Amino acid sequence: MRVYARIAALVILVISTSLAQAEIREPDPGAALDIMRASGEGYPITKPGQPIHFPEDHLAHPDYRIEWWYLTANLTDAKGQAFGVHWTLFRTALRPGSDAEGWTSHQMWMAHSAIHTPQGHQYEERFARGGIGQAGVELTDTGQFDAWLDDWRLLGTAESPVPGSLTTTVNDITLQLDWQADTPWVLHGDHGFSQKSGQGQGSYYYSQPRLQITGQVIVDGTSIPVSGEGWLDREWSSQPLAQDQQGWDWFSLQFDDGASLMAFHLRQENAEPYVRGTWIDADGQSRSLGEGDLLIEPLEWGEVDVDSGKDARKSLPLVWRIELPGQNARWTVWAREANSWLATLVPYWEGPVTAEGSSGGVGYLEMTGY
Amino acid sequence: MTGTLVRLLRVLMTLLSHHRRHPLQTAFLLTGLVTGVALWSAVQVINAHARTSYAEADQVLGAQASHWVRSASGQGVSVEDYVQLRRLGWRSIYPILEQRLTTADRGVVNLIATDLLVLPGDDTAASSGLPEGGWMRLVTPPYEAWFPETLAQQLNLQNGDRLRLNSGTELPPARLFSREQQGLRAFMDIGAALTLLDRSRLSYLVVSELSGDAEDRLSADLASLNPQLRLVANQQRLDLTELTQSLHTQLAAMSLLSFAVGLFIVFNAVRFSLGARRHTLTTLRELGVSQRLLLAAITLETLVMSLIGTVGGLGLGYGLSQLLLPSVAATLQNLYGAVLDYRLLVQPTTVVQAWLLTSAGLVLALAWPLWRQAQRSIQDQRFEPAQWQQDAHARNRLLLGSLVLALLAAVLYFQLTSIAMGFTVLALILFAGAGVLPWVVALVLRGLQRALPESAWRLNWACGEGLAQLGTLRTALMALLLALTANFGVDSLVDSFRTSLSDWLEQRLAADLFVQSDTLDIDDLLANPGDWLIESHRRNGLTVRWQNRPTQIRGLNTQTSDTRALPLAAETDRASAWFEGDPGVIFANEQVRYLAGINLGDTVHLPVQAQTVAFEVVGFYHDYGNPTYQFYLPHERVAGLWPTAGEQGLGLWLSGGNDALAQAEAALLEAGARPGDWTRRDDILAISLRVFDRTFAMTAAINALTFTVAGIALLASLLAIHQQRLPSYAHWRSMGVSNPEWLLIAGLPLGIGLLLTWLLSIPLGTLLAGLLIYDLNVLSFGWTMPLIWRFEPAITLFWLTLVVAGVTFAISALQVRLRLPQALKHLGEDAA
Repeated sequence: MRVYARIAALVILVISTSLAQAEIREPDPGAALDIMRASGEGYPITKPGQPIHFPEDHLAHPDYRIEWWYLTANLTDAKGQAFGVHWTLFRTALRPGSDAEGWTSHQMWMAHSAIHTPQGHQYEERFARGGIGQAGVELTDTGQFDAWLDDWRLLGTAESPVPGSLTTTVNDITLQLDWQADTPWVLHGDHGFSQKSGQGQGSYYYSQPRLQITGQVIVDGTSIPVSGEGWLDREWSSQPLAQDQQGWDWFSLQFDDGASLMAFHLRQENAEPYVRGTWIDADGQSRSLGEGDLLIEPLEWGEVDVDSGKDARKSLPLVWRIELPGQNARWTVWAREANSWLATLVPYWEGPVTAEGSSGGVGYLEMTGY
Repeated sequence: MTGTLVRLLRVLMTLLSHHRRHPLQTAFLLTGLVTGVALWSAVQVINAHARTSYAEADQVLGAQASHWVRSASGQGVSVEDYVQLRRLGWRSIYPILEQRLTTADRGVVNLIATDLLVLPGDDTAASSGLPEGGWMRLVTPPYEAWFPETLAQQLNLQNGDRLRLNSGTELPPARLFSREQQGLRAFMDIGAALTLLDRSRLSYLVVSELSGDAEDRLSADLASLNPQLRLVANQQRLDLTELTQSLHTQLAAMSLLSFAVGLFIVFNAVRFSLGARRHTLTTLRELGVSQRLLLAAITLETLVMSLIGTVGGLGLGYGLSQLLLPSVAATLQNLYGAVLDYRLLVQPTTVVQAWLLTSAGLVLALAWPLWRQAQRSIQDQRFEPAQWQQDAHARNRLLLGSLVLALLAAVLYFQLTSIAMGFTVLALILFAGAGVLPWVVALVLRGLQRALPESAWRLNWACGEGLAQLGTLRTALMALLLALTANFGVDSLVDSFRTSLSDWLEQRLAADLFVQSDTLDIDDLLANPGDWLIESHRRNGLTVRWQNRPTQIRGLNTQTSDTRALPLAAETDRASAWFEGDPGVIFANEQVRYLAGINLGDTVHLPVQAQTVAFEVVGFYHDYGNPTYQFYLPHERVAGLWPTAGEQGLGLWLSGGNDALAQAEAALLEAGARPGDWTRRDDILAISLRVFDRTFAMTAAINALTFTVAGIALLASLLAIHQQRLPSYAHWRSMGVSNPEWLLIAGLPLGIGLLLTWLLSIPLGTLLAGLLIYDLNVLSFGWTMPLIWRFEPAITLFWLTLVVAGVTFAISALQVRLRLPQALKHLGEDAA
């Protein structure tokens, strides 16, 4: 699971409960836990032993409280300049029960579109009601996977989002990306059930860790061809987190030797962080990393601009150590651009990272709850 | 320098000590000042607030609104078209539903709804500024409807109450909360509103901003998406400022009148104090205080008073503006569709203006008389004429002044071209009338004295006493005259307007049912209606811009009974050609005649596509309450010239059968209309008149306040009179004058004065009403109507005056009773 669970949960918190006079650009991390504690009563419960079905599970699961389609990518242009792309579509059910069409739909959608260019970091956030066609995830008349909000669109060439394409904008920048993949989907945890706490909370979670991407970034009418690798995540749940979990650090790393690593580090009150992950070989074979298989710790903290609120800067761990003792492998992972904060409805840090150590690599890091 | 300053301070303290010794006079002076400033500033605050609101007319519910997307057919925009535009990347577009709802008890509530999730700007659902439970409660059953507090009070709604509509539907639980630019409207989530009201289409879309070539690209997208959709620039800001100008001028004029009445009190109070202060001024001069120093001290005193008056007046004015705002907001919303929010702010300019006005008033009423008094040589003061001689001179001067004012008014009247000028004439007439009053009262008193037989010595005495009191009483009588005149005049205006409006509505609303529906298939309904229907009238129309203003074009069926009976205010002999379908002739509303300056027989050029088409104006019809220009053409002509003209309502005449209404309603439902889409004639009439009454509630409020100010003036005068006359009363008592005799002698002159004031207010009020109806109303709104004169308001005012006079006289008489023993004691001491 990714930090998105927390983000989605925070969305519910912020929008649904006590928005009153709250300066929500500066949410109280503690308050986030309130909604995390909220039980998923009335919604289906995530539990192990529920098989994942393709292509059906690429589509929405409106009965579950939260769900997301999450793309990150490390790209370079012809000059070798690095670009980072992060695009997400979140679905939230505002209340339990079977969904209705039209304005009475229970669904609410939120999307983030962000890009790191050599000129800096830009992002945009959008919301939409479900039921009226402004946003959704469906198959098109021609049977293509289609996830959209307004004119932002992730479109598969067939029933699966891979191979597929993304058309999105970030303020005045337009992004058009196409991808395909040679490796299979990776089911995290226990056949797709990814546990997030010792108390059993979890989500259904699978990824495509090796998207081969080509596309273009259009700035001021100039098209810049880019290419590189991306990572697509799918996750849904009704109550992903336990009461005592404060925040989240999530890694998706693509190593030069073709292997990949998904790892999360859930910070818990009065307890050691809950750390889990998945190791994916170059041929796509994956292995879940349980307690003791994976060590994650922050090495260096740095100052980050957060745009708004009382504190214009925050201190965040920007350099991390990741170790797989069983494989005798270790890496130092650092954020390429400290200023990757999204002052969105639920603010968080998300940006490209570089890994060095047992093998070199790139990836994405997401941090919330700071 | 320091020595001068010390002397100045001493002189100032000496001057101010007067207020310590005569706190009541000071209280009245300040009361006059504070109430005058309060009324003026209340209106000023509201006017400034309204103008700020117009400046915000380029916003809708807190989000920018540079353009609208509307359907040319008037049927609203489909959700599909809206979503398509969003999916084309037009993110600055957001949907609005506006609905006029009729409540179960036949009231009207306007509803506005949007989707907060897509509202541009910071204030979206995701942002701060929402009430507890926020967006979630708006969008999840049972939903929520937000009512501004004033509207909730009008509808008698508490948090959690559900407003019942006449269609049987209940609005969601109420929440007393208001968003920006919500105005006097209920607010709901658009999804909830569409679901609850069983609507499918949005009223229109708002475009928050369009930069560069975006306008052309959006127009092109609209054209390919749905040819009915139009991109319209938001010109409301300019339109509202222009349309509402007259109303604000009227309000400002009324507030200045209130201020003038307030000044009368100040003037009154200062005059009473002059007698007492004369000695102080003389003594100061005798002690060698220079005129310059005295002037400086008087200026300082004026400054102190003006500051107190400004602060007190603004404070009270702010409170008053809170009270008046709902009714002004109702007027603006009803007449012009302008939305005012309820966060009143006193702007710095208002504070400065209030202070300047107060200071100017005080210079006139306080500093100038004081300075004149101080300037008079000591010698003069020793030999000054008796009080009664001074009074007689003053009355004559006032009479002369009045005649000059009246003459000026007459001259100006014949060159009347603007509202401001109209109000100047009105003020001149009022003040001329007020100036004549003391002379008339004196004339009557003297005439009575002469006419009375010697045996009626008590009455004779009373008349003499009246002449003695008149010097002190006259200002109060003049203030009362102004208040009575304004009341009677405005009452007559409102009465005339109400009568004209209801007669006009009776005539115009001839059909039994009026249908406005975006889902009704009219062709289907009228194809084979059954015997419940006698006649139907289907209108079409659109809004164009003509003479740089929004202008309505309406297509009428020329053969229906209501069109045949169309009452025209003026017509040429070619008017019948209009009914015969002559394509070159047109009817226009009176606003076109009086505000746009078009005369009968003139040619108007109306925009049709990119060109204009010329029509000859052959008639003008009354169109009360409409701030925009409007033209009537035959239905087919409108449809032919403007293919995008949409349905503008359907009138149905029902047969007399018992179940005709039920049959009609069933047929309407069958043809696609929804409950609440039709209104019965009686309901429209009742609603219109209710809107009218609410609109004019403010006038009544200002009138009542002016009357209160006049009442205070009267009380101040009576107290001053009795204070001055106390030694005389003591003499009378010592001569054996009984209490009833005293009442007759002291009270009768007051009665005569009041009676004459009231009598004079009737012709003056009539003149005022005439000016308002025949000139100012036409200049402001372009409406003409006959003056309907009724005596009843005068009777009501008579009783009201009697009550006010009775109360004030009783208070002052009580004062006399309490002080008389002391005065008798003084008398004894003097005699000794």
